[in-house]
Amino acid sequence: MSEPTGVIHDIGYQRYTGPRLGRRHVFGALYLHGLRTAFGLGRSAKAKIFPWLVLGIVTVVAAGVTAVRSQIGEVVMTYAQFADNMSWLVIFFVAVVAPELVSRDLHSGVLPLYFSRPLPRGDYALAKLAALGSALWLLLGAPQLVMFLGAAFTTTDGMSGVWNELLDLLPGLVYAALWAVVFASVGLLIASLTGKRAFAAGGIVAVFLMTAPIVGILSIMPSRTVNELAMLGSPTALVHAVGRYTLGDLLIPGGQTEDQIGGFGPVYVAAAVLLVAGCVALLLMRYRKVAAR
Amino acid sequence: MSTVSWITARGLFGRRRFLLLFPLPAVLVLLAVLSRALGVDPGEWGPPVLVGLGLAVVLPVVALIVGTGVLGAEIDDGTVVHILTKPLPRWQIVLPKLAVATGVTAVTVAVPLYVAGVLAHSVRLGLALAAAATLGALAYSALFLALSLLTRRPVLLGLVYVLIWEGLLGNFVSGTKVLSIQQYVIALADRIAPTGLLETTVSVPVAAIMTALVSVGFTVLAVDRLRSFSVAGETS
Repeated sequence: MSEPTGVIHDIGYQRYTGPRLGRRHVFGALYLHGLRTAFGLGRSAKAKIFPWLVLGIVTVVAAGVTAVRSQIGEVVMTYAQFADNMSWLVIFFVAVVAPELVSRDLHSGVLPLYFSRPLPRGDYALAKLAALGSALWLLLGAPQLVMFLGAAFTTTDGMSGVWNELLDLLPGLVYAALWAVVFASVGLLIASLTGKRAFAAGGIVAVFLMTAPIVGILSIMPSRTVNELAMLGSPTALVHAVGRYTLGDLLIPGGQTEDQIGGFGPVYVAAAVLLVAGCVALLLMRYRKVAAR
Repeated sequence: MSTVSWITARGLFGRRRFLLLFPLPAVLVLLAVLSRALGVDPGEWGPPVLVGLGLAVVLPVVALIVGTGVLGAEIDDGTVVHILTKPLPRWQIVLPKLAVATGVTAVTVAVPLYVAGVLAHSVRLGLALAAAATLGALAYSALFLALSLLTRRPVLLGLVYVLIWEGLLGNFVSGTKVLSIQQYVIALADRIAPTGLLETTVSVPVAAIMTALVSVGFTVLAVDRLRSFSVAGETS
């Protein structure tokens, strides 16, 4: 028997000895990455086409509304109404962004890599949800800011005019946040069910569009209670109903708020909270177990 | 039934997620039955169910999912190479796939529309809606099949067409209705069974010619694109 001749060389591998940032930083990094993904930042030009198309359209609309108001003095839509009028674009934006955020990770099977970090399962889902929600809020909020700046610089009442505009703007931004939360939670839940971006996008649009006519049908049923509860039928209408109840005049100028939802305002608020809570709970459940591939 | 259409049909039906398509027509029938049972005036529930739900949402969305699925899924998986390397003329690949997409879409959409049409007005309206929806399925399928060869993101581009062009602009800019398959379908259905339920501004000859043009044109385009198709990797 010859002596073993092999030697184990020390080729200088070193352990990482620097600070370990931990859970909060992982969450923050994932959130920031998600937000950048939503607008295609840091990615190729192709990934930017659709998000910026939507962003461009809403900005152009806001600029147009501002121009009409400053030139002719006619208020085409209030800040809160802006979100309502852009609902189709919001749906499209969710259909573009939500699959990018979660379906890609499912498709390429990288989730085990994420979960081998100090990152609890829930955090992954919540970070993605927060990113989508923030992106939606920016999508709806930025044009309102454009409208506000236009109105503030053309106001004739000095500072009090600007202050009044600001008081109108803030509920509009809160309403945009409501839109963002509801649409993000529903959209992300649907997208997280499939690894195919195409199917996820189709599914999101199908759910949001299919539910809209249900409201139309329920609101012509021969029962006043059913009519007043009709807006529970779709997420879009649900958000609108909550807005009607809480914002009133700002959403529907001219005071026609009392019909349509009757005395069911609190029911709508509760339904919206339940919808968001349910979707988030299902989303967390979805990520309790993920396949490696 | 050629092998290509057989493969395509199996690719569509063999996955569980295809079952997710069926709630869409089911909602349509359910709403129609519900409205009829409760005795709501058809003049009131007809337009939102038949046009607002059936022709404006169910038909394009089903056509979009199926039409981009027949070829787009294979391009995504990379398995399209197996078909492309067979000694088949390109039209023998595109036409069976188009036929399957049209057939599946037409059956999924026309049957519930027929039921809803019968409940809303008469058997004639039901048949008219089913026939028009079948023509619409052909036009939409040709469009979305061609889209899946023109771009790597066919579903999103198709959604731009359905949501922004037909949905958003169709409401504000009436000129775009001349270039909207949805309006052709409405015009054709209204011509076959004139009722007060369907309304459009597009004339019937324009609708018929444009439907034929869209179907044939995009099919020819798809065959042409497949002729010089390059298999690329995943988009970023």
